[in-house]
Amino acid sequence: MTVRLPRNHFIAGMLSIVPGLGQMYAGEWSRGVALLFGLPAQVAVLYGVGLVWLIIPVGLVWAWNIYDAAGAARGQKYSATTAVVVLLVVNLIASWKVTDIHAPKLQKEQRNVIGQIIGGLVRPDIAQIRTKEQTATAKYVVPGPGAPKSIRTEPRSPGQPFISAYPLKAPKGARIMVRGDGFAPNQAGKLVLLGADEITVAEFHTDHAGRFQESFINPRYIPGDYFVQARIIAPIGGWELSDTLKEAAPRMIETVYLALIGTALSLIFALPLSFLGARNLMSGTPLLKAIYGVVRAIFTVLRSVEVLIFAVIAVAAVGIGPFAGVIALAVHGIGAVGKLYSEAIESIEHGPIEAIRATGANDIQVVVYAVVPQVVPQFIAFTLYRWDINVRMATVIGLVGGGGIGYQLIQYMNLLQWRQAATAIWLIAGVVMIMDYASAVIRERIG
Amino acid sequence: MLRIEHLSKTYPNGTRALVDVSIEVPKGQFVSIIGLSGAGKSTFLRCINRLIEPTSGRIWLGDVEVTAAGPAELRLIRRRIGMIFQHFNLVKRSSVITNVLSGRLGYSPTLPSLLYRFRPEDYADARVNLERVGLLEKEKQRADTLSGGQQQRVGIARALMQKPELILADEPVASLDPATAHTVLDQLEQMNKRDGMTVLCNLHFLSLARRYADRVIGLKDGKLVFDGEPEEINETRFKEIYGEDAIQVEIA
Repeated sequence: MTVRLPRNHFIAGMLSIVPGLGQMYAGEWSRGVALLFGLPAQVAVLYGVGLVWLIIPVGLVWAWNIYDAAGAARGQKYSATTAVVVLLVVNLIASWKVTDIHAPKLQKEQRNVIGQIIGGLVRPDIAQIRTKEQTATAKYVVPGPGAPKSIRTEPRSPGQPFISAYPLKAPKGARIMVRGDGFAPNQAGKLVLLGADEITVAEFHTDHAGRFQESFINPRYIPGDYFVQARIIAPIGGWELSDTLKEAAPRMIETVYLALIGTALSLIFALPLSFLGARNLMSGTPLLKAIYGVVRAIFTVLRSVEVLIFAVIAVAAVGIGPFAGVIALAVHGIGAVGKLYSEAIESIEHGPIEAIRATGANDIQVVVYAVVPQVVPQFIAFTLYRWDINVRMATVIGLVGGGGIGYQLIQYMNLLQWRQAATAIWLIAGVVMIMDYASAVIRERIG
Repeated sequence: MLRIEHLSKTYPNGTRALVDVSIEVPKGQFVSIIGLSGAGKSTFLRCINRLIEPTSGRIWLGDVEVTAAGPAELRLIRRRIGMIFQHFNLVKRSSVITNVLSGRLGYSPTLPSLLYRFRPEDYADARVNLERVGLLEKEKQRADTLSGGQQQRVGIARALMQKPELILADEPVASLDPATAHTVLDQLEQMNKRDGMTVLCNLHFLSLARRYADRVIGLKDGKLVFDGEPEEINETRFKEIYGEDAIQVEIA
C-alpha cells in the first residue's frame, strides 16, 4: 500500500488544464499518463483527418478530466466509462467519415454489371451441348486468262454432307447457287469462301431433311478456281463440360496443389524450428533461452506480414505464376504454423518427459519418445487447417499474379466475361467448402 | 548402496524443499518416506537421480558419486535407477509395448532407437515383464485405454526393463483405489524381496508404510524428523511428522 498524501483539489483541477497533470499530482499515475498523451493524440488525429468539429466532444472529455483531477485529490476515483464512450463515439463517427461510407448511387452501367454478375452466378457456365462441325466444299471458276478450261466436280462420298455450286463458271458479280444435302436437319450454317482471307458470303438454314439451297454474289475477279465451303455446327446429342470449366478446373487443381506444396514447405522449415521455439524444451541454459527468443521472433515477423504482401514481393522476384504463390504461402506459413506447433509442444504433459529422462535416455530420445507422440495429432490437425487456409489464400494471391484460379478469375473479370467469372467463383466456393468440411472431419477424428 | 550426505534443495523462488538430509540405505531395503504434501518427499526422490538438481550435498550410488557425474555418466547412473510415478507418466498415445520398451532407452544406441527399433532380446524382455505384471495381452493397446492400476503396472514393467538396482517410487498408489493400490505395492514388494532391488517409496498412508516397509523415514518441512522401523511410530512420533492436528486414517 502506498501512503497517499492529502492534495489540494483546487490545485489538482487547475493543473489538469494540461490533461492528466492533476491526476499525476493526486497520485493517479496511470490515468494521468493516459490523459496526458491520449487527449492531445486524439485532437491531433481529428485535426489530421480534417474533422475539426469533432474536437468539440473531446473538449467535454477535457472538462471531465479537470473534474476528475479535483476528485482524485479528494481521494475519489470516478469511473472513466463516460469519457471512454464519448471518445469511442467520436472515433466511430470519424471512421465513418474517413472511409467514405455512403448510400450507393448506381449508374445504369453499374447496374448492368451487377446484373451480369448475379445472372452469371445464377446461371454459371458449367455444361454445354456436345456439337460437331459439318463441312462440305465445292469448286467454281472465275474465267479468264490462266483459268482452267474445264472443271471436274468433286465426287460425292456416301453418308457425308455434299454441296454443289451452279454455274460452275462465274465472273465477278454473278450469282452462284449452292445446293447441299446430307447435313444435320434444321440447323443454321454459313457459306464461306476459302482462301487467305476467308469471307462469309451467305448464311443458310437446313430443312427437315438436312438439305439447303442458297445463293451468293461472286466477289472474286482474278481468274482461277475458287472453293466455297458450307459449315454448320450440329448438335450430336448429350452434354459435356463447358469450355470455361475445362479451362478453369485445371487452374483450380493448380490452386489446391499450390496450397499443398506451400503448406508442405512451411512444414519442413517450421517442424524443426518449432522445437527450438518451445519454452519448455528451451529453458535449460541462457543460450537455449536466447535461441527460443530468436525463433519466436522469426515466427512473429513472418506471421505478421500478410501473404498478399509476400506474394507481391515474390512476383517481383520470380515473375507472375504459381511459383510466386508457393513462395508467399510457404514463407508466411512458417510463421503461422511454427507458432502453433511450438504452442502444441509447450502444452504437452511434463510427466512422460520426466519418466523417459529417468530411464537414462538422452535428449534426442526424450524428444522422440516423450514429446513427439504427444504432439503428432495436433501437428497433423494444424497442418490440415493451414492447408485449408492456404487454399483460400491461394485464390486471393492469384489476383496479384500468384497463379492458380485467382489469376484466371481476374482475367475473366477484366474481359467482362461475367458468366465465366461466376463459374470460377462457384468452383472456388465448392472446393473451399469441401476442404473446410474434410479438414474439420479429419481433425475431429485424430483429436 | 545409497548414501546421501547433507542434501539440501532450495528452489529459485526461495522454497526450502530439503534441509540437510543425510541417510544411508543398505542394499535390499524397502524404505518408505512419509510426510505431508509439500514436505519434500518428491523433491527428495528426484534429487537422487537428479531429475531435480540438488543445491548442496552429495549422493553416492554404490561407489559412484551421483552429484559429481557429468551428463553422460549421469545417464549411465539413471539406467541403474528405475522410477515409478504417481500419475504413471506413460506416453498415452503410444502402445503399451512401446512404453515398456522405452525403459530400455538408456541401453539402446541412439540411431535405431529414434526409429523405434530395439534389439530382439529387448522385445523378449518386454514381454516377460508385461507377463510379470499380468498385461501381456494388452501389449498392442494404446496406453490411455488402460485403467489406472493397469497403467501403473505398465510403469512398473517399464522400470523393470532397466534391470535397476534401486527403485524410486513417488506416491505410486496415490491415484489408485485401495484394492488396486495393494496389487501395485505387492509388485514392488516382489521386486524388493525376489529381485533384491532396493526400494525408496513415498507413501501418504502410514498404514501402507507399516504393511510394506522395512524402514520408515519421516520428512517435515524438508527436514528429516524420523528414521526408524515402522513399529516405532507411536502417537507422539506421528504428530511430529504430520503435525499436531493430524489423526490417523487407515487404508485397508
